[in-house]
Amino acid sequence: MKITDTIRRAGRSLRQAKARTLLTSLAIGVGAFTITLSLAGGQGGRDYTDAIVKANTDVKEISLTKKIPVTTSIQEYSADGAGTTDAFGGSFPTITNKDIDDILKIDGVESVTPNYAPTVNYITAEGQKKYVATLSEFSPSVTLEYAAGSVDGDLKTGEIILTEDYADILGFENPADAVGKKVEINATKLSTSFNPVPETQNFAYTIKGVSSASGLAFRSQGTMLVSSEEAKNLYTYVNEGTPSYGKFVLAAVRVEDADQAESIKQVLNDKGYDAQTAKDVLGTVNTFINVLLGILLGFGALAVLTSVFGIINTQYISVLERTQQIGLMKALGMSGRDVGRLFKFEAAWVGFLGGAIGSGLAVIVGTISNPFITEALDIGDIYLLKFDPMQVAIVIIGLMLISVAAGIFPARKASRLDPIEALRTE
Amino acid sequence: MIEVKGITKTYGKKQNAFLALEDVTFTIPEGTTVAIVGKSGSGKSTLMHAMSGLDRPEIGEVIIDGENILTLKQRKIDAFRASKMSFIFQSFFIQPNETCYDNVVLPLEIAQVPRGQRRAKVEAALNAVELGDKIRKKAATLSGGQKQRLAIARAIVNEPKILFADEPTGNLDSTTGAVVEDFLFNYSKDNNATLIIVTHDVELAEKCSARIEIVDGKVQAIYGLDKTEDEA
Repeated sequence: MKITDTIRRAGRSLRQAKARTLLTSLAIGVGAFTITLSLAGGQGGRDYTDAIVKANTDVKEISLTKKIPVTTSIQEYSADGAGTTDAFGGSFPTITNKDIDDILKIDGVESVTPNYAPTVNYITAEGQKKYVATLSEFSPSVTLEYAAGSVDGDLKTGEIILTEDYADILGFENPADAVGKKVEINATKLSTSFNPVPETQNFAYTIKGVSSASGLAFRSQGTMLVSSEEAKNLYTYVNEGTPSYGKFVLAAVRVEDADQAESIKQVLNDKGYDAQTAKDVLGTVNTFINVLLGILLGFGALAVLTSVFGIINTQYISVLERTQQIGLMKALGMSGRDVGRLFKFEAAWVGFLGGAIGSGLAVIVGTISNPFITEALDIGDIYLLKFDPMQVAIVIIGLMLISVAAGIFPARKASRLDPIEALRTE
Repeated sequence: MIEVKGITKTYGKKQNAFLALEDVTFTIPEGTTVAIVGKSGSGKSTLMHAMSGLDRPEIGEVIIDGENILTLKQRKIDAFRASKMSFIFQSFFIQPNETCYDNVVLPLEIAQVPRGQRRAKVEAALNAVELGDKIRKKAATLSGGQKQRLAIARAIVNEPKILFADEPTGNLDSTTGAVVEDFLFNYSKDNNATLIIVTHDVELAEKCSARIEIVDGKVQAIYGLDKTEDEA
């Protein structure tokens, strides 16, 4: 019997038992649905984190902290300020200017910028109330989305980027209206904080741009951005004269060439720092996504495993029911191999049907629910489920192969049927 | 020509051994219509199975067109049956949910007849049994006699030289049975095909040109056939 005839005959046999075929393939469909959705979620999730990391980090940048010594023993006090005592009496190592000079000597390092993160009291504009504010440093390499204005290259001294929320609350009619206007930021000199009247100072900034809430940007949500130089000024004003002045938890090492990032990271790690490149950050996030994906795929695989027994059962019953038909085909000269093949193709059809129904449903449901998921998770304009036609095809083909494997046992039973016995059944 | 030489078939083992066929020998020339008669359990069906290669007796030879089919590999016997033989059974064994066309085309698919030639052959076979207008109808819609005629169409579609019929009219009343018999004999006559009918219906047996009577697995009498070469 020709393969095409066998495939057609297999399809026809299934059409004659529509309900049974459909129910058996629905079992596989559940697996296909889960697997297709998990794969789409994994793909979308990876793309999403990829985009986030690309938007917020720079491949030329290495994020640096000092390694926290893993020890529970009591440490000897050192007066040179190698550790910062926190409010709870614990101590963690910090990066000092000495470290920075040290790192700058490494071949390929362009600059080392500590994370100043100056603590300020409030932000205000003329005739407006005072609002609590957080400042971060602007990095020209990090993608920002602007609601109004934009920055070409680095921020200049005296310039600031507001968030949409702040532009609104500070009384500007719209983001565009805010650009070019002035805001004031007030900070307290910490060394005078125990004086009867602590020393404070207002710093004036011109609004250069207003960042919009983006699904990708970490920092546009709550913090305003000033240049590193400005951040350093503020930090110096606020912290000078306190014990923690000149000690940083976090610093960014900029390398001259992106290719060197990995080797310089190695050098830094050997020197006792904890260095992470943009790739590492992406890797950590992706590990998390992959674990989630694995769990979901596991559920899908379980569903497929269950359906395998469904196929074996249905096909086996089908062989018993069609004993006479098998006997007749054998009497008419159909070889055992062809008979077995007929039943394997039937199983393949069931797998195809289940795969197509499940995956198709997953694509439809996913496409419909994508906007809702995006809205619920508030991730801007990114769709979290990404269907790759190749992946869907592979899922369907894979399920067909699994179904054929499930059909081997019933098919063998059919191929070994004795035609005389089969035709005697009356 | 079919030469059956000394075939013996045993079922079961040792003490329980049951001799279904014992030293059966005869020769059927091409184009003969032969009735194999005997009571149920006499071994006539086993003889038919042995002659068609469905069953393999331990001893003896079945030589068709000069080839001992009992020593052929399974694949060769399958191909042999697909191209040269066909069967008609008492209970039709047609697929009720399939159309008449799909029922009749099965032997052509098994024999790997090129797709382009199939339709004409199926139409010719259905016309021969006067079911030409039912080609697209489901087999389940046919009456009992029509079902057996459909089975005949399926049996003759690939123009076999040997046609086995196992109690072909056993499930039919005498009128429809007579119609079915006519189609069988006409096919044999028109195509010079050997027709072997297994039956205990005496009237049907008498319509055949030759008769082999089986009792308890042994040939009791042969009418209308030449003496076998063995005895020469």
